[in-house]
Amino acid sequence: MNGLELVNLNKVFPGFTLGPLNLRVKHEVRVILGPTGSGKTTILNIISGLSKPDSGSIILDGVNITNQPLERRKIGYIFQKPFLFPHLGVYDNVIFGHREHESAGESEIRELLKDLGIWHLCDRRIQGLSGGEMQKISLARMLITKPKIMLMDEPLSNLDDQFKKKLRSDLRRVLKERNIPTIYVTHFKQDVYALADTISILYKGRVVYDDTLEAALKIQQPFTFPFRSDIFIAEGNYIEGVVTYCKKGITRFKYYTQILEILGEYHVGSRVGILIRPEDIILSRQILKTSARNLLHVKIVHIEKPIESTGTVNVYMMLEQRLHLVAKITDEARLELGIKDGDEIFVIFKASAPQVVREGYSV
Amino acid sequence: MLIKNQTFNLVLFSLCLITTIYLVYPFVTILIFIDSPSFVNSIGRPAVINAFLLSASTATISTLLLAVFGIPLGYFLARFHDLQGISILRLIVFLPLVLPPLASGALLLGAYGPLSPIMKMLPIPDVTQSISGIVIAQAYVASPFMILASEMAFKSYDESFERVSRVLGKTRLQTFTQVSIPLAKNGIIIGSIISWVRAVGELGATMMLAYNPHTISIQIFEDNAIGGLSRAIPDIFFSIVLSITALIAFCFYSIRSRNGSYLKVN
Repeated sequence: MNGLELVNLNKVFPGFTLGPLNLRVKHEVRVILGPTGSGKTTILNIISGLSKPDSGSIILDGVNITNQPLERRKIGYIFQKPFLFPHLGVYDNVIFGHREHESAGESEIRELLKDLGIWHLCDRRIQGLSGGEMQKISLARMLITKPKIMLMDEPLSNLDDQFKKKLRSDLRRVLKERNIPTIYVTHFKQDVYALADTISILYKGRVVYDDTLEAALKIQQPFTFPFRSDIFIAEGNYIEGVVTYCKKGITRFKYYTQILEILGEYHVGSRVGILIRPEDIILSRQILKTSARNLLHVKIVHIEKPIESTGTVNVYMMLEQRLHLVAKITDEARLELGIKDGDEIFVIFKASAPQVVREGYSV
Repeated sequence: MLIKNQTFNLVLFSLCLITTIYLVYPFVTILIFIDSPSFVNSIGRPAVINAFLLSASTATISTLLLAVFGIPLGYFLARFHDLQGISILRLIVFLPLVLPPLASGALLLGAYGPLSPIMKMLPIPDVTQSISGIVIAQAYVASPFMILASEMAFKSYDESFERVSRVLGKTRLQTFTQVSIPLAKNGIIIGSIISWVRAVGELGATMMLAYNPHTISIQIFEDNAIGGLSRAIPDIFFSIVLSITALIAFCFYSIRSRNGSYLKVN
């Protein structure tokens, strides 16, 4: 099998046991989520060879690498901090792991550095670079070794929010263009939306959930998910589609038969993923003529009991039998609308309401 | 409160002044003993020049040997600090520092002298009264400085730099030479300078193991015994030259090391 396979992997620490763990990572970005101390980093350390498992096997591209020294595994590992070698300049850092005949060629390295927007930094020293630049250099340094799998341990956690957004988009594009199987450990919701193809949730050393992002997002109704993570609730509704129109700061994208409108300019043909907060959604019995640019016809699947402290209720709806949406309205509004399970209603939200959390990668 | 502060400052200043005078005073008084014509004549004495060159060269050899054998031990202490018995190893490293130098010399004489079991077994020429003996004595007493300074230097940066290097395909040896040593460089240089200074100044252990040929310290000891302080002044002058050279190098690397906060850029 191409990609990575963990078979009955097990490691015992005093007071904590990781595994037995079975996991497959093909040519995808697999995001591993889990609370602190659930064993996320330990998994990466074991795969990379920095730590040894007590039992089980690590199969990479069909080869058992469990007992291989880490320098021969051909694995890329990006840590929380970039750990650029301070005694070397930018370019020497990038080519530190370069091997004749195995790593990227000179022109390939140049293209990669240009692609990541760090070519102009080649002659610079490490000192004085921004955190985002350093993490990009650290990524380039790993990529030029042509790793068989990329491991990433919260690489954006120490960066400013403005860098994070740009870097997420660059990361996904670079990884997908090179078709590198990736395991990305995080506890940031934005990382999941921006990067994940598949999701694994780790809890007390075991994988308790393992599926695609799309499937994971369908479990918006918390009662269907016994190990629900904060990641899937309260943040909002995730919708992803292909951009069909972009002009004068307005972008339209298609989600199955629906056309949605958002602010911002994104390339036609690329994919965007948006997040809409439940409190930004307006429910209506009829089609209303308003200034809001988005109107969807949905069916109510479940209305939660009102939350006494806030006086609000969560209304769960389904769009085209595919997409789960949740809206937060006051209990008074629910009573006035007279809505109940099974009713068909309209969801309205402004073009400025969604937050674009995934962008740039075209299918 | 202000008065109390002033009193404290006054006491502090006075104590600092006394200590500084105590440190500088011997350098000033030595000038009294300098007899210019005889100083000029005796500074060129072959015995003095030879002692000076011998000290400088043997201290350099012993420092280089310590670099080869001591730096790896410093690395071991830094990286395997969780290992059982590591504290005992560290105590062993401290031994030459806490032993009186003459006692160290006596131990070395027992270990490497003509009567030692190892020298009887192996076809090695007698090291007593030889340059090899001087190097053995100097390296022994200076070893804690090199080993402990290296340990501190290897502990001064995040071990993850080495992990990154390994992930990037470098072997442990390549990582040691291409990452660990460059990152610990300033600390190691400082350790080497202190070791060298200690080796130059070594007297007790060298006296026991290899009184001849004379190092600069032994030359000072002997000249003072034969002809008093004024005869020893040229030797003292040379030893001061060696020490100040080392002090300048030490200050240079200390400042560089302090300013080299580049280890924290990541």
